[in-house]
Amino acid sequence: MLDILTAILIAGLTTGALYALATVGLSLVWGSMGMLNMAHAAMLTLGGYSAFTLCTVLGLPVIAGFAGAILVGAVAGGLLYVLIVRNLLKTDKATFESNVMIATVGIGIALENAILLTYGGQPLKQPISATGSFILGPVSLPYQNMLIVLVVIALMAVIALLLGRTRMGRAIRATAQNREAAQLMGVAVNSVYFQVLVLSGAIAGICGVMVSSMTQLSPPLGNDPMLKAFIMCVVAGLGNLPGAVAAAFGLALLEAFVQYVAGARWGFPTLLFVVIAVLIWRPAGLFGRVQIRRM
Amino acid sequence: MSASTQPPVLSLSNVVSGYKGLQVLKGISFDIAAGDFVTVVGPNGHGKSTLLKTISGLVPLTSGAIRINGEPAPGKPHTIAGLGVAHVPQGDMLFPEMSVLENLLMGAYLAPSKAEIDRRLDEVYTLLPKLSDRRDQVASSLSGGERRMVGIGRGLMMGGQILLIDEPSLGLAPLIIEQIYGVITELSRSGRTILLVEENPARVADLADHLHLLDDGIIVWSGPPAELLARDELLATYLGG
Repeated sequence: MLDILTAILIAGLTTGALYALATVGLSLVWGSMGMLNMAHAAMLTLGGYSAFTLCTVLGLPVIAGFAGAILVGAVAGGLLYVLIVRNLLKTDKATFESNVMIATVGIGIALENAILLTYGGQPLKQPISATGSFILGPVSLPYQNMLIVLVVIALMAVIALLLGRTRMGRAIRATAQNREAAQLMGVAVNSVYFQVLVLSGAIAGICGVMVSSMTQLSPPLGNDPMLKAFIMCVVAGLGNLPGAVAAAFGLALLEAFVQYVAGARWGFPTLLFVVIAVLIWRPAGLFGRVQIRRM
Repeated sequence: MSASTQPPVLSLSNVVSGYKGLQVLKGISFDIAAGDFVTVVGPNGHGKSTLLKTISGLVPLTSGAIRINGEPAPGKPHTIAGLGVAHVPQGDMLFPEMSVLENLLMGAYLAPSKAEIDRRLDEVYTLLPKLSDRRDQVASSLSGGERRMVGIGRGLMMGGQILLIDEPSLGLAPLIIEQIYGVITELSRSGRTILLVEENPARVADLADHLHLLDDGIIVWSGPPAELLARDELLATYLGG
């Protein structure tokens, strides 16, 4: 019984960590900009392939692959702001939310196809992964799962410190809570938006490496985590960062339990059922505000 | 129109502004010298808040000119804040999920050093001691009067040369209004340049050096507060007696 419970717990925590990572990037952008970044999945995939290119193709060490994935994700986020978002913000602000959603759907499709053309459709192995397990009595803890959970915990701590303790983080939170007041304090909101998309892109890059280390690299790699991350965001309340992380771990544990009890095919339908139930019970999500302020 | 002989720190020349399809200010001109306390009074919905928002850059200028220390004001609010214009907006506009201290620190966002932030924080806590007691409390849980105090404290943390205060008494109980105006009196005595928007001229009678009466986007009368209060026909026509 203990080994079964441990297996469910390990699977739930690992998946929860991955969901949390995908969710944080998405939620950060929504919370501070009112922007649903539909290209987040493709940015995640880009991160995974960047690490592959640096480590497998160019033969660089693992740490360079990891750093490269972060850098490529950050650059992709920055370019998304400079080339697309900045220009959409200059036009009619009332239609920004829908316009940016459509624009990022297009960018996501284009990026995914570019990856398909460059690397082909066959699955590839992510070189950044750990093999073996830590054995503790009857319990076996795979190093790969432990690595993912530890990386995500470390990253969450860094993000929490960044948002909570730094001048940049305070400016991001201030802009999310009251854009006009932030401007009056001297915050350049366009610069904040740029920083948010760069940060979100960097997180997507790391997430891409982590997800592909558990599965394999393929052009639609980011789609499933993105879909799940969106579910977590909706359940938590769009834009609520701590709530999104809590929802990610909670729902992942639920999914792992349902998959064990009722079979793997029931995991995703259960998540969807939970979303519908939460939205009927609390339309703004479990931790969400009734009205989300948009920039 | 400055009440002082000092060169103006803030100068408005034929300012026209408004919102999409709605012209609110229809040609406003006045100067404010360093250390002046100027008040704009007028009925609700006639452009008082829009005037302050136009000066701080939240509402774009349609035509005319605004000069800060003799230089044309840049269009963006964050660059205007950098020139020493601190806007305490109507309804506080606090950061609701931040603590009182974090709200105050946001006021010092452009402060040049940690030492300067600490100095301003000491100054604010001395003037508004209640904020020190409430420093860790989340802004959304404060009472209306406390929120207004945080708004003023945050404006002071900006270290601005010019303080724009929008209807500080709006929606508050008489006792709280008295406290708020006590703080504003202290600020005025400390030599700060203040442009205050208020609906009731009697509240600023002993404070303001100069008063402008704004109606339908234009200044219809200017002069000392005592003079306006003696003009029953103006009070009756524009301020309902």
